[in-house]
Formats: sequence, C-alpha cells, structure tokens
Amino acid sequence: MKLEHDLRLQLVRVIGGVPMVKCKSVVCFVVFILMFSWFMDACFAVDKAVADEALIDAENDLVSTYVAVEEAEQVGANASELLAKLKFAGNLLADAYNAHRVGDYDKACSYAMNCSDRVKGIASEAAGLELEAEKAYSERLFATAAVSSAGLSLLLVLSLFGWRILKRRYFKRILGMKPEVGKAE
Amino acid sequence: MRFEDFKLLYMFSCVGLGLIILSPTLAVVIKLPGGERFSELWILGPSHMAEDYPFNVSGDKLYKVYLGISNHMGGLKYYRIYVKFRNQTDPLPDMVNGMPSDLEPLLEYRVFLRHNENWEMEIRFSFDYDIEGNICSVSKLVIDGYALDVDKVTEWDEEKGGFHFQLFFELWLYNASVPSFRFYDRFVWIWLNMTSARAR
Repeated sequence: MKLEHDLRLQLVRVIGGVPMVKCKSVVCFVVFILMFSWFMDACFAVDKAVADEALIDAENDLVSTYVAVEEAEQVGANASELLAKLKFAGNLLADAYNAHRVGDYDKACSYAMNCSDRVKGIASEAAGLELEAEKAYSERLFATAAVSSAGLSLLLVLSLFGWRILKRRYFKRILGMKPEVGKAE
Repeated sequence: MRFEDFKLLYMFSCVGLGLIILSPTLAVVIKLPGGERFSELWILGPSHMAEDYPFNVSGDKLYKVYLGISNHMGGLKYYRIYVKFRNQTDPLPDMVNGMPSDLEPLLEYRVFLRHNENWEMEIRFSFDYDIEGNICSVSKLVIDGYALDVDKVTEWDEEKGGFHFQLFFELWLYNASVPSFRFYDRFVWIWLNMTSARAR
C-alpha cells in the first residue's frame, strides 16, 4: 500500500516528464518575461514631446546640411555623393513626419534620429568641397587670365609693327600712283 | 580708301581680335543670367499619361497616380509636398494671394532637386467610406501604406451626381533667407466620386 502511495505521489510530481518544481520555475520565468516586456514598453516608449524634439533637431540638421551643399553646388563643386545622402535623409525626415501624423511616435523618433545621423558630417564635407571648388576656380581664372594677357600683349606688339608696315605700304602705293591730268578746256 | 578710314578699320580689327583673345577669361568671370526660373508640379494617371485619372472610386480597390516635380530654378532646391484631402466645402489654396489651404496635411514628401532635374513618384491610395442616405463619410485614406484618419463628410451632389472629394498636392519651397518653407503657389488635384460600386 505504502509503495503504491509513494508511486502515485511521484507520478503527481512529474507532469509530462517535467517535475513540479521545474514547472513552477518555467511559469515564473514566463511571467517575469511578460512583466519585463510590459515595463520595457512603459519605460522606453517614446512620447510625443520626445518625438517632437527629435523632429525639430532632424529638421535643423537637414536644413543646415542643405544650405552647405547648395553653397558648394553654387561655386561648382561636384557634390553628387553628398546630394544622394541628402535625398535619402530627406525621405527619412518625411517618413518621420508621416509616422508622427499617424501617432507612431516610436517610429517618428527613430526615423528622425536616423535622419540626423545620416546628415552628420555632410556639411563639413560640403564646406571642404566648396573650398576646393573655389580654389579650382581661382586657378582656372588665373590660367585663362594669364593666357589672355599674353595673347593681348602679343597682339599689341604685332599690331604696332603691323601698323608701321601697313602705313608704309599705304603711302608707298599712294606715292607710286601716277597723277591723272585733266584735259584743259 | 582714305588714310583715316584705313586707320579706323585697322583699329577695329585689332580690338575685335583682342576681344576674341579675352573671351575665355570673360566666360569664366561673367555669369550670364539664365532663362525664366520656375518649378513644375504635375500629376499623371496610372498609365503615366495625363488621362485615365481615378474618378469613380470604390472602397475595395487600390488606385495609383504619378506625382512629379521639375526644378528650373537655376540651382539646388529643397521641396516639400503636402498631401491634403477635402470635401466640396473645405478650402482650396488661394492662388490669388498665394496662400495654402488651411487643411492639415495628411502626408508629406521631401525632395531635393538640382537644376533641370525631375522627381516622380508613384502614389497608391485607397479609401474606407460609408454611404448612408444622402451622406457619404470617408473615415480612412490609405496612402503609401499610411492609414490616415480623415473623417470627411459630404452630401450627395445633385448637380453633378455623386459624392465628390478632392485629393490634392501642394508644392512648398524652402527659402533660406526666411528661413522656412513657403507655399510655392502651385497645387495639383484629382476629383474623386465615391459612388462607384456602392450605387444608390
């Protein structure tokens, strides 16, 4: 009888091959995970104010980058690569605003921060390209001005010599002409 | 030929030749003004032509149009497009005073374009609406995957025969001197009739 009771007790403790103690710890673990995820959401959820701030920062970053790239383009810098990055960041900012409009502040914040990250350093790169382009412009201007000056100087000298020769020829031709004598009436 | 005429001809020839020699430098220094500066905004139908625009729409279908911008402003520009939705009584942009519509934008796009560069995007949209008697209420507009609450109501238009709404796109341009976006006085739209497949 005792042996049968012991066996039954053992059977109750083992459910589906898992001892009762293990089963309890699994339940506790699951509950802990659920609560943790709930608290995680509560702790790390982005509220509207944070998203707003991220959007403003991203907007300012994008605008300052745009101004730098535009200035670089104006002086003739090849900013194609920077422009591609700027376009991508622009799409991210639009996505951030769109997510904000539908109330998805997590996504809005994430997109806005991604936008700020993407444009980081572009303004300084653009400034570098602008300086390079200005330098290249100055060099080109100097080279063409030098060639033009040399050409003009040569033209001045040749034209003076040419004028002397042409003048001499002109007078020679005039003096060499036979005077026509009109018939006396 | 008189001597004075010969002298004058020689001088003009020299000056002309001088200008030709100077022209590369002048080309580097002098920036000639470009043509008229403007930006284009357009909307095309699903066949990528200015025809077959979605008009009779139903709630269970997806529609598409193409929206495009072209920059002829002489340099890199930063554009923003606002997507707005109105019924027949909501305000449209005021073209005379250059004011945008007072309606809140539902969606936006940001575009950077160089001089003479184009941008075009396929826009897919669908609706969720109900018709009760003479009233049609659009509760949701889904554009490019964004489900937007619009809550627009309109009455049956006896004259034109339909429940008419308008989806329109406003073009804004960033002005660095202000510095902010300014409505660029251009907008495009499509009319939508919500009676198809739910005929009264």
